[in-house]
Amino acid sequence: MEGQRQTMMGNQAITQGALEAGVRVAAGYPGTPSSEIIQNLAGAADEHGLYVEWSINEKVSLEVAAAASLAGLRSLCAMKQNGVNVASDFLLHLAGSGIRAGMVLVHCDDPGALSSVNEGESRHFARMLELPLLEPSDFQEAKDMTKWAFELSEEISNVVMLRSVTRLSHASGGVVPGTIPQAQGKAHFDHHGTLLDKGHGPVSSSPVVYKHRLQQEKLKRAVELFEDSPFNSYTGPEAPELLVITSSICNLYVKEALALLDASGRVGVLKLGTTWPLPPKLLQHNLGRCGQVLVVEEVIPFLEENVKIAAAEMAGEIGAKRFFGKRDGTIPAQGELNPDIVLGALADILNLPYQARPPEYDLLAQEAAPQATQDRDLAFCPGCPHRASFWSLKGALALDARDGFICGDIGCYSLAMRPTGYGMLKTLLAMGSGAGMASGFGQLGRFGMDQPVMAVSGDSTFYHAVIPALINAVHQKSPMSLVVLDNSGTAMTGFQPHPGTEANALGQPVPPVDIEAICRSLGAEVTVCDPFDLEATQAAALALLADQSTAKVLILRQLCALSPQRKGTKPYDVQVDPEKCLGDQCGCNRLCTRVFGCPGLAWEKQSGKARIDEVICAGCGVCASVCPQGAIIKSERA
Amino acid sequence: MITRGPRQLLAEVQQPGLCIGCGSCVELCPYFRSHGGKTVMLHDCDLPEGRCHAWCPKTELDLEGLAQELWDAPYSAQGMGPHLAVVAAKAGPRLEAGSYQAGGTVSALVCAALEQGLVQGAILTGGRGLDTAPTLAQTPEEVTACAGSKFTAAPTLAALNQAQAQGCGPLAVVATPCQSAALAQRRAKPWPQRGAAGPAELVIGLFCNWSLDPQGLARFLAQRVELASIRSMDIPPPPAGVLQVETTDGSLEIPLDEIRDLIPPACAMCPDMTSEWADLSVGMYEGRPGWNTLVVRNEKARTLTEAAVEAGWLVVEEFPVANKEHLVHAAQGKRSRGLGAALAQGLLGVSGEDQPKALRVSPELYQAVESGEVA
Amino acid sequence: MATAKLIHDPYNLIITGVGGQGNVLASRMLGNVLTSQGLWVTIGETFGASQRGGSVMSHLRVSADGSWSPQIPAGKAHMVLALEPLEALRVLVKYGNPGAKAIVNDRPILPVAAIAGKTDYPSTEELEGTLARLTAQRWSIPATERAMELGASIFANIIMIGALAATGDLPVSREGFEAELLRALGPAKVATNLEAFDLGAAMVRR
Ligand SMILES: Cc1cc2nc3c(=O)[nH]c(=O)nc-3n(C[C@H](O)[C@H](O)[C@H](O)COP(=O)(O)OP(=O)(O)OC[C@H]3O[C@@H](n4cnc5c(N)ncnc54)[C@H](O)[C@@H]3O)c2cc1C
Ligand code: SF4
Repeated sequence: MEGQRQTMMGNQAITQGALEAGVRVAAGYPGTPSSEIIQNLAGAADEHGLYVEWSINEKVSLEVAAAASLAGLRSLCAMKQNGVNVASDFLLHLAGSGIRAGMVLVHCDDPGALSSVNEGESRHFARMLELPLLEPSDFQEAKDMTKWAFELSEEISNVVMLRSVTRLSHASGGVVPGTIPQAQGKAHFDHHGTLLDKGHGPVSSSPVVYKHRLQQEKLKRAVELFEDSPFNSYTGPEAPELLVITSSICNLYVKEALALLDASGRVGVLKLGTTWPLPPKLLQHNLGRCGQVLVVEEVIPFLEENVKIAAAEMAGEIGAKRFFGKRDGTIPAQGELNPDIVLGALADILNLPYQARPPEYDLLAQEAAPQATQDRDLAFCPGCPHRASFWSLKGALALDARDGFICGDIGCYSLAMRPTGYGMLKTLLAMGSGAGMASGFGQLGRFGMDQPVMAVSGDSTFYHAVIPALINAVHQKSPMSLVVLDNSGTAMTGFQPHPGTEANALGQPVPPVDIEAICRSLGAEVTVCDPFDLEATQAAALALLADQSTAKVLILRQLCALSPQRKGTKPYDVQVDPEKCLGDQCGCNRLCTRVFGCPGLAWEKQSGKARIDEVICAGCGVCASVCPQGAIIKSERA
Repeated sequence: MITRGPRQLLAEVQQPGLCIGCGSCVELCPYFRSHGGKTVMLHDCDLPEGRCHAWCPKTELDLEGLAQELWDAPYSAQGMGPHLAVVAAKAGPRLEAGSYQAGGTVSALVCAALEQGLVQGAILTGGRGLDTAPTLAQTPEEVTACAGSKFTAAPTLAALNQAQAQGCGPLAVVATPCQSAALAQRRAKPWPQRGAAGPAELVIGLFCNWSLDPQGLARFLAQRVELASIRSMDIPPPPAGVLQVETTDGSLEIPLDEIRDLIPPACAMCPDMTSEWADLSVGMYEGRPGWNTLVVRNEKARTLTEAAVEAGWLVVEEFPVANKEHLVHAAQGKRSRGLGAALAQGLLGVSGEDQPKALRVSPELYQAVESGEVA
Repeated sequence: MATAKLIHDPYNLIITGVGGQGNVLASRMLGNVLTSQGLWVTIGETFGASQRGGSVMSHLRVSADGSWSPQIPAGKAHMVLALEPLEALRVLVKYGNPGAKAIVNDRPILPVAAIAGKTDYPSTEELEGTLARLTAQRWSIPATERAMELGASIFANIIMIGALAATGDLPVSREGFEAELLRALGPAKVATNLEAFDLGAAMVRR
């Protein structure tokens, strides 16, 4: 379909750009909104002769990609915003040593934390580690810029960072695909030169000061190229009243806002695609157009601050400017942007009236709002093993009655901080930090803390960052219990394989690394349970809590309801016998609907009985073990 | 008589530490469970009224109301509750040998009631050492297996609820005074709901002055012995004044004074020594080892006692007047201490007040307690 | 290629529902059919955690010239395709306007709070009344029910696309959709999905 415009997801456009650049190796760790990049490249691997892997964590994925670059193959690494934190130690040293074949780090931020537990900013790594940064502003650019990023990377022999955001990565728009070249070139790592020979010698960031100077020279070369980059553009009158400087998806918000305000004649827009380091000449030319500048961007005022520094440096030429942006509150300091927010900011500065719809309609909408405001709190899927797991953990902690608690971790099961998981998680921070913190809480008995502590971890998270924490707990004799919620895949981000699965990203068979065996090898006591067996799981958890001598592991193993193996299958037909159902009477008080809360259950107010919604029910049958009356009946399906 | 819901039960009984862990609210529903001697609530329940609260012996125990309802007589500060006779008793030849606490009277009466068909099972409290095991016994062997007193509070009534949920026929319960009070609550406040658990057919009450908090005792003993090595425990009759602990590596005697702190606060407010709400009450016979004191409280109890004697389960003798006076004196003493303690904590009330109270009495008795006449 | 003419440019369509109802697939397929007409389609979606039982919206911008913001501005929806009635209302409150139209699957999915009895799901009458006040034109269709008759509730989204096509607001032809079905799902699945499309179309034409 070369040459014909298609509607592509941002992440697919990035994939396409990488393929057009002749990428040969790609690696990453799943994380919304970045996951589809590696997934798509894995899908294209066969046809285009690539090696693609889901690595154990972001740092290793960057190392894998770097190896390819050093052996002369173009490589790409993709991760979500906080993944860069994980990879950053390696990135710092790699940036100092430089690379050989083109290497691009795609990092996808999640402004507004639509699918994250942070609103982390990854752009500042470019400034901090002195690497060039590109930010595509639409779908075509996502493709074109990715392709060019490889060329730039080779031009300056260093990593190029390309930052996307959720609303670009997960949105779709028009892209005209180009040609994908034939794969060629043999991988070979040349290491016979001297330490100072960047093309042929051993690779290291030392001698540090020398290499640091080289790195900064590369950055200067990048700036030169940025001065005339087609990814930076100005639209608007020669001498506007207001100059908007923006980047990334915000460019489309600005376009929309100006159209709705009909203000294109008064406002100029400098859209920047090369946001670090900023090209000074381009900036000087455009800042010279007018006295008022509005910077529109998401997360931290990265662009704004850099523009201000540049403006201060060139104040002699361009004079003083009035700046609007995040720092003065014109643009909100947190949360994602949208056309309405940008429109509000512009309307304020330009003193323009705006009404999205007639006031009479607004009134109607306001009247209807109370009905519509009931939120759909996020919930574990029907048939999700996590609901069953947290039900039993809740029971065990209640029976134990020492005010014990669970440290959470990152994955679908993070939802257990909410009602769907009975609010069981009491800490929720970074990947792997549940186990690490539990290891620490476990040591506080000597200070009188008598609460038992548990940590949960998904299977993918276990490999990513829990293993060191568990080793720590075992070695330091911390009386914590780690519960591994093993649902056999990276469920949250769409079932990417991980070291425990039997196939890799390319679908090839690989040896699964067994969680249970790892834990045993560390000397931790391990129990394995099916979380759908509520009684056994609660008993196992209770036993863990009772033994406060050492670190222990409980593996709760059951497939995710959305896993390819389970999705669409219904092991049981589930029904409520209204004769037996006690409903809201003493003796039950709607345990299934009010407390257990699976979305497959419904409460019939009229009859005062529970009911199964057969459209939603996944047929796991767990509610049958919850019902105290034996009123929920599961029968195996033929 | 007043009934509220589970949230109030938590606030009135659990949180202030008045729960004795009798098991009355356990297994009636999916919310209350007993674990390691503690009653815990697994999930929140928002019902405004529930059996858990209605039948709890530690809140809204309206002594006056119960007496009117169940005895058709006022609750009195004097005596040891209504009774037809007090006799000396011990097991007859039919009861197999076993480690009975004293004369084996309780076990003998249970066997007789089972044989008579008066009940189809009995809820007893078995277990060894620190662990109590509420049990449904249906044969003499099962009864003998539960012989002997466990001096920690036990969730005996949970087994009653479980057995009733499984559809067992009429049941006997061997109950401490607080458990007897819980069963009195059930008789006085029946629950108008199909299939719901209910009162027991026969209540054999035990005398009791206090029990020990199971978790506290476990913590206490853990400092002296390996808990897993404990085989049995006993408090021999006065004047020994010790808790005997038999372990696999020998025995240990702990002066009772050292464990007084382990008596739960709920016992301090308990006004009943002789299980006044039971059909029959059994205790030690001070100064006569191998015998029990047996209080026969009503017609049903008299019939059972006579039948038990006739069938060779039980032997009875006369009980000396002096001993009875001593017993009444002790029962009055506990009652006045219990009511006084409740008053001191603001938990004694009269019927008809709004404020939640643990115990309620008639206005006259309230005044008597307040003015110190009862003590 | 001659580009089809649009009644609004950009034409703003919101497909809404609850996580797991398949509106991502619906918006993709619709987008591809329209792209094959030479139109520019921009789609904004939410994935990940927000899919787990939460409200899920896809914003489709259809234009003859270029990409638009993947988020539709407040008050600017021309059409709401709702797989769930409460979600239709939620979207209209924010994005509706006197000219807005809506096609609404009549099958409620209770929020967990409503299942738990903490909130009340509005009655059908209440919902219908409010939806009527907030739209210029509205079709309420039993899409889930029909889908179950076809064998699986997931066909509801195809039924909805059929209904949308029948309104004539956007250039979505049966042939164009058939070609997309073939491309996206393979030959085995074309027949039933086309049947679903036709069912939806018939419910609007009637
Ligand atoms: C906690 C406690 C305190 C007591 N305090 C006194 C006292 O101060 N003065 C006095 O005279 N007598 C007291 N007794 C009663 C006494 O110990 C004997 O239980 C009674 O004399 C009956 O003896 P027996 O030989 O007939 O018992 P057995 O025939 O051996 O039968 C004993 C029965 O007691 C039941 N039982 C054992 N432990 C418990 C428990 N923790 N809760 C409920 N039921 C239980 C068992 O089900 C068993 O069937 C107390 C009993 C208990 C359990
Ligand atoms: S848990 Fe059982 S008895 Fe209770 S409402 Fe649900 S179906 Fe009815």
